[in-house]
Amino acid sequence: MIGPTGLLYVLIVLTIGLVGVFFVRPSVTAGAGGKILAFMAMCALPAVCVGGGFFSQMQRSEETKFCISCHAMENYGKSLYVDDPSYIPAKHFQNHRVPADMACYACHADYTIYGPLKDKYQGLKRVYMQYISKPPEHITIPGGYNNHQCLRCHSGARGFEENAIHQSMMDTLKSNQVSCISSGCHDTIHNASEVSHLKMWRPGS
Amino acid sequence: MKLRILGLQKMLRTAGMLIILGLAAEIFSLWWVHPLSFVLFAFVGVSLIGAGILVYLASLLFAASPPSDQKG
Repeated sequence: MIGPTGLLYVLIVLTIGLVGVFFVRPSVTAGAGGKILAFMAMCALPAVCVGGGFFSQMQRSEETKFCISCHAMENYGKSLYVDDPSYIPAKHFQNHRVPADMACYACHADYTIYGPLKDKYQGLKRVYMQYISKPPEHITIPGGYNNHQCLRCHSGARGFEENAIHQSMMDTLKSNQVSCISSGCHDTIHNASEVSHLKMWRPGS
Repeated sequence: MKLRILGLQKMLRTAGMLIILGLAAEIFSLWWVHPLSFVLFAFVGVSLIGAGILVYLASLLFAASPPSDQKG
């Protein structure tokens, strides 16, 4: 079954074919039918291809394989396979508490109306730093990790709400005054620099 | 009139070439799984396609007389 991206490929190839006709034989535009076809081929269809391409790129940038395709993210991708349940991202990824094919996006997306655009802007800034200016020595999240990323799923969940420690500091957690990943709580995150020394989980083994 | 028709054909060809190159960049960006693929799409593909559409629309301003007997 052909998916949206497959349809987009077909549309792009069709558009290239039509534009190719006008490129080789511009005189086709002489008749009224030719003019309409030219407008479709050289204005309407390319615009649809751009819209479809933008949608497809936005969708694809939510995939785990896209995030870890960046060299700087390789160890972060590997950390999802650490065979140690104290590693929060690994525990979520391996137990499918987040969709495995969108693991990074599930915990790092800005779930607001313009969130995907803001994320894309942040991503472009990282690309700029990587290739044009200077990449940072340590990768950090601007503004720190927001508790709302965790609470989006955990808030209201029985295990979270009934936990005595969570109950005692619920207001400070929800107002982001105390971070979920602060020291002494859920503080074992990616530890990307140590990943190469750790035992890895192999799916299916 | 002939010069005008030749100019129109040239504009149509230029527009076609820009759009084809832009669409080729878009296809490559869809196939390439890499953070730079979005940059390629957004800054190269979209720019070329947009420029092609603008050149085509500009050519319409010269399209009072169609290039009926001109062969490509």
